[in-house]
Amino acid sequence: MGNQTLATKKSASFGKLVGNYIFVVIFLAIFAAYLIINQGATTWSGVMNILRHSAVVGILSFGMGLVIITGGIDLSVGSMLSLIGGLTVVVFNRTHSVVLTLLFALLAGLVCGLINGLFIGVAKMPAFIVTLATMLIYRSIAQFYLRTMGLSIYSMDASHASYDALYGFGQAKVATVPVVGIMLLLVTAVMVYISTMTKFGKQVYAIGSNEKAAHLAGINVTLIRVMVYVTTGILAGLAAFLWLAMNGSVDPATIGKSYEMYAIAAVVIGGISMSGGKGRLLGVLFGAMSYNIIDKIIASLGFDALINDTIKGSILLVAVFVQMAVPLLRSRLKKGSN
Amino acid sequence: MLKMSDISKSFFGVTVLDHVDFSVGHGEIHALLGENGAGKSTLMNILAGVYTRDSGSVVFEGKKLEQTSVAAVEQAGIAFVHQELNLFNDLTVYENIFLRKEIVGRLGTLNKKAMIQQSRELFESLGVDIDPCAMVSELETGKKQLLEIAKALHAKARLFILDEPTTALNNEEIAHLFSIVRRLKEQGNSFIFISHKMTEIFALADRYTVLRNGQFIGSGLIAETTPQDVTRMMVGSQYSEGEAYAKRELGEPILELENLSGQGFQNISLSIRKGEVVGFTGLVGAGVSELFQTIFGERPITGGVLKINGAPVAGHTIHKAMLDRVAMIPSNRKENSIIPDFTLLENGYLSRHALTWRHQHISRQAELQRYEELRKKLNVKSNSPEDLITSLSGGNQQKVVLARWLNTHSDILLLDNPTQGIDVGAKAEIYRLIQELAQSGKTVLVNTLEIPEIQQVADRCIVFYHGSLQAQLERSEISEEAVMLQATGAINTAEVSN
Repeated sequence: MGNQTLATKKSASFGKLVGNYIFVVIFLAIFAAYLIINQGATTWSGVMNILRHSAVVGILSFGMGLVIITGGIDLSVGSMLSLIGGLTVVVFNRTHSVVLTLLFALLAGLVCGLINGLFIGVAKMPAFIVTLATMLIYRSIAQFYLRTMGLSIYSMDASHASYDALYGFGQAKVATVPVVGIMLLLVTAVMVYISTMTKFGKQVYAIGSNEKAAHLAGINVTLIRVMVYVTTGILAGLAAFLWLAMNGSVDPATIGKSYEMYAIAAVVIGGISMSGGKGRLLGVLFGAMSYNIIDKIIASLGFDALINDTIKGSILLVAVFVQMAVPLLRSRLKKGSN
Repeated sequence: MLKMSDISKSFFGVTVLDHVDFSVGHGEIHALLGENGAGKSTLMNILAGVYTRDSGSVVFEGKKLEQTSVAAVEQAGIAFVHQELNLFNDLTVYENIFLRKEIVGRLGTLNKKAMIQQSRELFESLGVDIDPCAMVSELETGKKQLLEIAKALHAKARLFILDEPTTALNNEEIAHLFSIVRRLKEQGNSFIFISHKMTEIFALADRYTVLRNGQFIGSGLIAETTPQDVTRMMVGSQYSEGEAYAKRELGEPILELENLSGQGFQNISLSIRKGEVVGFTGLVGAGVSELFQTIFGERPITGGVLKINGAPVAGHTIHKAMLDRVAMIPSNRKENSIIPDFTLLENGYLSRHALTWRHQHISRQAELQRYEELRKKLNVKSNSPEDLITSLSGGNQQKVVLARWLNTHSDILLLDNPTQGIDVGAKAEIYRLIQELAQSGKTVLVNTLEIPEIQQVADRCIVFYHGSLQAQLERSEISEEAVMLQATGAINTAEVSN
């Protein structure tokens, strides 16, 4: 009997491991599909491009992940990309300084996030409503401001040497790895560290798990909430900056459209619970990359890009179904064996 | 009326009921006793049809109950009044009573009038004052409990399982509940009464059955036994009669209240000395919880002065209270203390980390070491510090919460109902810990409704009534009777010399 319990314990912990890291399984499955479909056409730089093209959504998703762990949501990240991106172009064209441009993008993100954070954390308004409102507001400001300047697109002034520096940064590679992709990995490392190894990170989880108990344990719930939305804003600023470095221009009407939804999907596929308190930020990286590969698969199959969201949506359904079904099946099996 | 024989049940190879016999007669109140984990809930869930039994038989009113469903058991006339009430808060009282048994007109429209009328008659026959049209969410907990019984009665139940029905009730509500239970009993209904409170058991029950570790230990008439005997049966050999109390040298005043007022209490003046253990009691709503929350910075001070270590506090917040080395273990552990997704380790270090923003990095090694020391000191029974806190029993969870506040080096501990939902053995351990903490110079304030707890640990007892300090009793004066007289306001304040 001792052996038997040991065996079931082992298989249970293996099942648990798979359950905890299901996002890796999903990523590998999609990646394998990509390799099979692409066959000989697969190149190293093609694979590296997955990393590069996942950067913007990926970085937004890390903010989203943190917010969802507190039990909240941020629908405004796509619109932030539009507003911050647009204003950052204006700042670049005035200053021609890469450093100032980066600083402005981060600062603008901080302000956008702070607005969300104050309404949600201090005024205690529902996160869904607040960020729905700022989602409408931020993109609208970006579009309206552009119209008042009589332009149809925010475009960086390419005549200056600093443009080459910035755009070059967006295309650069270090040892065949795109710098933008490295930025994504850096953000991953920092966010995983913050969420698992710092007091702040643990307090974020505590609030999502039991807000009242967290408050009575001495955690400043309001401050942590504000900080989480500010962090999301700053990450959106960084994402906007990387977008500019990669593309050189911003169309406020289309940039980041539906990205809040992709970010939420990446977070959920990454195994973070929408009710808060549970899940790992590492999963967000895999969730974001999984979605990017789907774009690549559809492109290489020569399908209409409009079918894209059908497949992404289906994968979201399957991923969450598996996440829900695996523990349920496991407990059923346990019951059945007794 | 009910005869359960030779019931066995095991989960995942662990036997939780081992050939247990249990029977209830007509018009009988039968106390089912045992520590948490003794098998009471499993036995009742088998009776109620929630679990299937591995072996044994159940006979109710001469009819054999086969392995069956909850609905069939209800049909047979057995009602399970759960600890967590099964009521819909967003429906009205009568809608709850008639749920799935609605009286409908010809077109399937609800006949609200008839349902309200029948509800009213039901309440009148019970002697309960509940408005059938009120929303359940607006009812007090006591009324909800009575509604649950009324609902079962309406469904023609004759045997009621009451699972710790009094935990959330104040003494008046308890008295009312008991009078109704007695009346129903006289009409031939029977009750299975599960409770940890000896006074209630001896006041209400006719017979008792004790389970321990899934085994039948004994059964008999309440009139022929004593609380001591029953407790001994429940806990087995580990029970020791001795009190946890030991006399200590008291230090300087560490907590001083001068005409302190807040939400729910007014004009409290008190001086508590370092190393002292003070028991607070009062009916639910008397203001002790509110006083504790105010000292902890959770509620604002509306008047008077609060001094900690001789210094008056201003702009009190939880964080400031923590820096003044005040800790509070709130009542209702599940709602107010536990971070359910956190491990024992994480639950233990959370508050210490909230003290300061500096040193953001968490050193696992150091945390594990600190936790291990506290675990030994508090005798937490657990496998690994990485286990989820929800995997522990109530008593051990409470010890982890205590560890959380020893981790912040608190000097003043405010314990609000610390033994709620904890079994007898673990309770005794908590008393012992309170004494040990006081020995080591901590000041402990305990709020509890159970007077014997105060007798176990406290240097003096402070009784609240309607938000005011009603009486202070020295250790030698503490008795259940003396305290209840004060707590119920039976003695006029003017007559109390203090």
